[in-house]
This record gives sequence, structure tokens and C-alpha cells, in this order.
Amino acid sequence: MRSVLPILTVVLAIIVLWYGATVALNAQWTRDQAARAGVEVGFSEIVRDTLAQTRPKLPAPHQVAAELYQSTWVEEVFGRRGIVATGTLSNRSLIYHGWVTLSATMLGFAFGTGLGILLAIGIVHSRAMDMSFMPWAIASQTVPILAIAPMVIVVLASIGIKGLIPKAIIAAYLSFFPVLVGMVKGFRAPDAMQLDLLRTYSASRARTFWQLRLPSSVPYLFASLKVGIAAALVGTIVGELPAGASAGLGARLLSGSYYGQTIQIWAALLAAATLAAGLVVIVGAIERVVLGRMGMRS
Amino acid sequence: MIWAWGSLAFWALATALNVWLARAHSRNRAVRLFIPALFGATLLLVWEGLVRSLGVSPVILPPPSMIGVRIAESLPILWADFSQTILKGALSGYLIGCGVAVAVAVLIDRSPFLQRGLLPVGNFVAALPIVGIAPILVMWFGFDWQSKAAVVVVMVFFPVLVNMVAGLKATDALQRDQMATWSASYWQGLFKLRMPAAMPFLFNGLKIATTLALIGAIVAEFFGSPTRGMGFRISTAVGQLDLPLVWAEIAVAAFAGSAFYGLVAVIEKGVTFWHPSQRGRA
Amino acid sequence: MKRLMTSVFALTAMAGSAYAADSVTLQLKWVTQAQFAGYYVALEKGFYDEENLDVTILAGGPDIAPTQVIAGGGADVVIDWMPPALAAREKGLPLVNIAQPFKSSGMMLTCLAETGIKTPADFKGHTLGVWFFGNEFPFLSWMSTLGLSTAGGADGVTVLKQGFNVDPLLQKQADCISTMTYNEYWQVIDAGIAPDQLVTFKYEDQGVATLEDGLYVLEANLADPAFVDRMVRFVRASMKGWKYAEANPDEAAMIVLDNDETGAQTEGHQKRMMAEVARLTAGSNGALDEADFNRTVATLMAGGSDPVITALPVGAWTHAITDLALN
Repeated sequence: MRSVLPILTVVLAIIVLWYGATVALNAQWTRDQAARAGVEVGFSEIVRDTLAQTRPKLPAPHQVAAELYQSTWVEEVFGRRGIVATGTLSNRSLIYHGWVTLSATMLGFAFGTGLGILLAIGIVHSRAMDMSFMPWAIASQTVPILAIAPMVIVVLASIGIKGLIPKAIIAAYLSFFPVLVGMVKGFRAPDAMQLDLLRTYSASRARTFWQLRLPSSVPYLFASLKVGIAAALVGTIVGELPAGASAGLGARLLSGSYYGQTIQIWAALLAAATLAAGLVVIVGAIERVVLGRMGMRS
Repeated sequence: MIWAWGSLAFWALATALNVWLARAHSRNRAVRLFIPALFGATLLLVWEGLVRSLGVSPVILPPPSMIGVRIAESLPILWADFSQTILKGALSGYLIGCGVAVAVAVLIDRSPFLQRGLLPVGNFVAALPIVGIAPILVMWFGFDWQSKAAVVVVMVFFPVLVNMVAGLKATDALQRDQMATWSASYWQGLFKLRMPAAMPFLFNGLKIATTLALIGAIVAEFFGSPTRGMGFRISTAVGQLDLPLVWAEIAVAAFAGSAFYGLVAVIEKGVTFWHPSQRGRA
Repeated sequence: MKRLMTSVFALTAMAGSAYAADSVTLQLKWVTQAQFAGYYVALEKGFYDEENLDVTILAGGPDIAPTQVIAGGGADVVIDWMPPALAAREKGLPLVNIAQPFKSSGMMLTCLAETGIKTPADFKGHTLGVWFFGNEFPFLSWMSTLGLSTAGGADGVTVLKQGFNVDPLLQKQADCISTMTYNEYWQVIDAGIAPDQLVTFKYEDQGVATLEDGLYVLEANLADPAFVDRMVRFVRASMKGWKYAEANPDEAAMIVLDNDETGAQTEGHQKRMMAEVARLTAGSNGALDEADFNRTVATLMAGGSDPVITALPVGAWTHAITDLALN
């Protein structure tokens, strides 16, 4: 709770800076328009105009807030296609798009985490796999998957994989890596003394894994899950970007960009950031509960 | 069919060889390089074999041999794109972003108030899908490499900042007391003790930032660019169904990314030679 | 992996089970908008049902190449412009135009009047925004007809890959940008720039127009009578949709709006787009005009040292479908 005041101060400072930047960035358009209309504008008119443009370079915070409110509460409750009127979420609301993105993210996160853990188990137990695979796992992350996401989606569609799964695969590609790295570290966390102890009990490899390596990797698991789930969200959004007219926060970002609707872009961005922060917080909460139960405090 | 079975047989043989090598000769330096190289070669061969035997159209997935030929043919294009995207966009953005992040970390290091305020906000922003701001930054900074560098700056800033702040806290009270007994000033303490102690954390952030920098620079080109650059070439070549060129660019990006990562890792080894994680693997 | 395999099986099983109606998958060139109103109208008004067709319309986007989708088997028929389709044909992907609902080209270059550009001769030394991803071919052909280098410098023009919006013009990053009569031009107007502050060059007026939205299929499929039959019915219903849309533009625009999944389209913009698109489709009954085709090919091959296509395309279009569909 000690952090509330500092955070508020920083947020307030950001908002003040934001307003300043809004005026500065949007002023050129105001002056251009005035010049085209052949009128002089004073400072106060510039300020008033820059904070209320329909296609600003940088929308003012209150414009973004209004758009967020419009595209969630107002759209669902009062809209022609809102949940109150039709019983289903409106395709114009950020709640609907957020939900589409969230479901692909969770699927991709599950794929990615599973894959990361399995590979980590393989790497810890097989020296050959460690030496041959690990450098390529690092190289795999330098492939600009984001740049080829559109192609990946087309190629997968050509073999009949459509809908959520292609997006989830891209999300998994990004989220498996932090999990892999974290879990390799985690499975190797037991020190020589603990391993030796189990050897004196003549415990099998499987038993060592289940009773020593796995439990001691849990703190590492959660640390990498937090990175992984944020990465999965980024992957899903990027997977949605090329999908043009289909739903999701990425599609919303793209169509906002396509129609020059900067306010819409910022609202979608904020919604995505909130979603990401929420997911990380949830993982963090689970972490506290699990580690507490296991008698480990992080 | 001969391609399919041939490549599968090669895969089995190579795996067996790798397992044997890893068991018997893992201390040998050359073997340590050979094992991943063989694994990579196997992947390429299986790819080639599957594409050929299944008759996959080259406009969907070209075989590696075709990509190799395309790389050899289009070296001037690849070089122009490389210097536009990596040297101008990614590298300058990386240097600026990391430099500013380190500077900010040192600045807020003296104020616990700012740290408590900035770090949660920083984490929130770091969770932002930064690619989403690419179209906005292109709008602000124009079409040339400056806007790509700006995207990279934003992408690398927070991971480096968060790691550096954590690193500056990595000294323990005993060490700080020691500096105090020598009546070291704040700056002496910072440069002689806490900066070196922060290096392992800093490099952790710097390594993450290398891949982010490449991705940011390439993706930003999708939202507007001059008529060169890797992201530009990839999207244009897909439109022209020139898939071998697309994969050639991807190969260059992956190679550049790995080299960049490797370079940072080598510097890390030199700087943090004293750290436990670097010892014991001479 | 196991889950993935099950869903693959589920999909193939679904595709295998007998449909009452014949299925057709159509890949659009761009996002859902009134540019494709005819197909959405045919879908919603039941024209496809009347022909016993079950049509799936896949929306496109800035990074979806229809040519690649059809090559991968993701669609039976795609909407594309003729230049990328012919270029793909030369790359070894035999696409055939089976119908051409768009008679005229809607492409133009829009410049700010304040830059002093009045005729194409004034382009020299200016910065022009162009779409890429297969849409750059008409522009490149035009520039080589004008004898302008696209490499920049005082004697040529500097080319920007513009994103898919009009910001480069508004932010003055480019002196001219590519626009469509039915879409981007109106976004510039909506942003608050008056028409008399703009100078536009229509490709149609400059004599370098190339054919836009046509229906393309893979050549090999045309040997299959069942496929031809499906396409005949598809083209007939689609053209009925187009003519309905031309006659009832406002209703067509609302149908498009209801099919837009992103919810980003606005009613005003779509109604205006529909009115503009109707002008481009008005001259076509669906059959390709050979003269238009020859003009397109001539433009594309005129490209100086770097033509879009190098050889005269043979068999790149057919009247076989439209003759049967429109009899």
C-alpha cells in the first residue's frame, strides 16, 4: 500500500506530459487547417482544437477514456447490437474483441507452456539434446515470427487449420521459450548435495524428478509463466493483425490504423495492456497461493 | 519417396551420432560446435526431404536448396535491406534505448519514491503489445529508419530498465558497509561496487533486448517504409509470391539475430568473468 | 499435439460429410467493405441459396495475398487485381480470370495542391506514397511510362511504402498518395481537407488503368466439369448480387456493415463507398472485355527495364464461365 502514492504521482505526471504532448503534436494540423482556411489562430484556440480533433496524431487522455467507455459499457448496454439488446456481445465492443483475444491467448499459452516444460525435461535428462537443441531454441526466437505471421496463417489454413489454432500456434511459439529457459534452470536448481542425498537413497531418475527436481523448479516455473503469458498475448495480437476483418484486439488495432482512427488504436492498446496486466496479476496470485502451500515464500 | 525415407534415415543416423558424441566427447571443443551444427543440418535436410517428397508448392513453402540459391543470387538486395533495417533501425534504437534505460535506472536509484512509482508503471507498459504502437510511431517519426529506431527504443527500454534497477540493488548490506567504512562517496560506491554488481542483471536485460530490437525494427516496416528494408522486402515479396526471397530475408534475420545475441553474450563473459554462472565452464 | 490432430480430423470429417448444397469458398482481396458488396448481397439475399450454393466469404487484409491463399488450397475462387494475378501466373501459378465485375479502375494518385503538382510532369523530385504487396504494379508501370525513375533523386520520384491509411498525406510525409475513388479519397476529405485543395490523377484518365477486382481460379480446376458448373452458378448469383447492390446502394451498404466482424466500419463511409463502387461496376455484366485485358497487358509490359510481366500471357482469361452464366 506504500506504493499507492508514488504510483499515483507517476501516473499523474504521465497524464500531464501526455496532455502537453497532445498539444505539441497536434498543433501542426491545426495550423495547416487554419492556413488552408486563411485565418490566424491564437494559442488558446490551438489548445482547444488540439484536444478535440477527430483524427489526432496523439489523442488526449480524456478522448481515449471516452472511447473506452463508449466501446464497452455504452455499446453493450445501449447499443443496437449490445448484450442487453441481443443477448450476445456486440462486435463493436472491446469486451467482445478482448474475449476473442483472450481465448486464443490461453490456448497458445497452454500449448507453449506444455511444450516448454516437455523440452526442458528432455534437455535436463539428455546431454545430447541439451547440446544440440539449446542453441537452436535461442536462434528460433530471432526468427521474426511476427513478420511471417501472415504467411504462417495462410499456410496453416491451406492444410485446414483455421480459427483459433493458428493464432494460438504463434502465441505458443513466443511463449514456449521463456518457459523452456526458466524450467531448465529450475530443474537444475537442486544442488549437488540434494542430488547426492537422493542417490544414497538409490532413488531412480523418475523419482528424483518427481520428488526433487519438480518441486524445486516451481518458483522458476511461475517466474517464467509471467513472462510467457505476456508473450502469448503479444503473439495472439500479432496473429490477429493480418487477419483483417476477423475479430480480436489485433484486428481492432489494424482496422483503427487502416481508417486512421487513432483514438480507436489507443483504446485498443489500453485494453490490451489491461488484459496483459490482469493476466500477469492472476498468475502472480496463483504463485503466492501455491508457493505458500508448498512452504516456499517468494 | 526416396527423399522422405532418405531424410528420415539421415535424421536417425545423425541423432545416434549426436547421442554418442555427447556421451563420449563432450569435453572436446570442436565436438561442442559440431553437435548443434549437425542438428541444424538435419533439420534442413528433413525440411528439404518433406517438401520434395510431398510436392509442396514453392509458393507455400520452398525447399532450403531453393532458398540458398536465392540468397546467393540476391546478395546486394539482402545487404541493402540489412543495413537499412539492422544497422540503421535496430542498432541505433538498441543503443539509444539501452543507454537511456541505464541512465534512468541510475537516476531513479537515488529515489525510492520514484522507484516505487515507476516500476509498476514500467511493468504495465512492458506488458503492452509494443507492436501496436508501431503504426503510431511511424506516423510521428516518418517513414525512414528513425521511426523504426523509435519502436526499438520503446521495446528495449523497459526490460533493460527493470533489470538494471534490480541489479543496482544486488549488493548486500555488508558490501555497502565496507564501502562506507572506506568513506567512499555515492559515486565511488556506484562505480566501484554497485555498477559491477549490476552487470549480470544488466546483461540479462541486454540479451533479451537483442531479439526484441530485431523484431521491432522489422515489424515497424510493415506500417510504412521506404522501398528497402527487411520488413518491406518480406511483405512485398509475399505479395509477389517470391517466397524464396522471403525465406532468404528470414534466414538473414535469424543469422543476424543469433550473431547479435552471441556478441552480447561474449561481452558479458568478459565483463562478468567473476560471476558464479560464468565460472566452471572454462 | 494430440488436440491439434483431433481438430484436424474433425475438420476433414466435416468437409467430407455430404452437404446439401455445393460449397464455394471465396477469398476477398481486402477487409469487409462495400467494395465487395455484390457478394455479401448475394449471400444475404439468398441468391447463392437459389443456385444451391453454400458460399463462405473469407475477408482479406493487408498481409493476405489472395494468390497465395488459392495456391495453398484455402479458397476455390479469389478476388484479385489483374496485375498481381498475371505476375503470379508468370511465377508459375496458373490463375485464370473467369469474370470481371469491375469495368473501370478506381485507383488514383491524390496530391496536395500546395505542393505545386499540376500534371504528371511535375512529379519529378517529389515523394509519392504507394501500396505494395502486389498493388504496386500499376504504379510502377505508370512511372516507367512517364520515364521517371523510382529510385529517388532529382530526376526521379521518391517512393514510400504507405501504410493502408491516408496519414502520410495529412502529416505531409508524402506529397501524393495512392487512393481509391471509393475509399481513401473520402478519408482525406473526411479528415478536413477540401476537394479544391487536392489534385487527383486517375489511372483511368492517364491511360494506364489496369483491371481491378476480378474473379480468379486455378487453371487445372477448369478441366473439372463439376467445378465449372459450380463456378457458373457462383458467377451468375454474384452478378445478380452486384446488380441488386447497384440498384439499392443503401441496403447493400447496411448488409456489408452487418457482415463486418471488426465493427470498425461506419455507416456513412460504407454508403458513400457503395455509391462510388457502383460507378465502377456499372459498365460490366461480368464478362471480361478483351480490349480491357489487352490494355492492361500493354501497360504492364511497357515497364521499361523492369516490366511487371515479360511475356504475353496466354490463356489468362476465359469466357467459358460467363458465357454459360449470363447466356
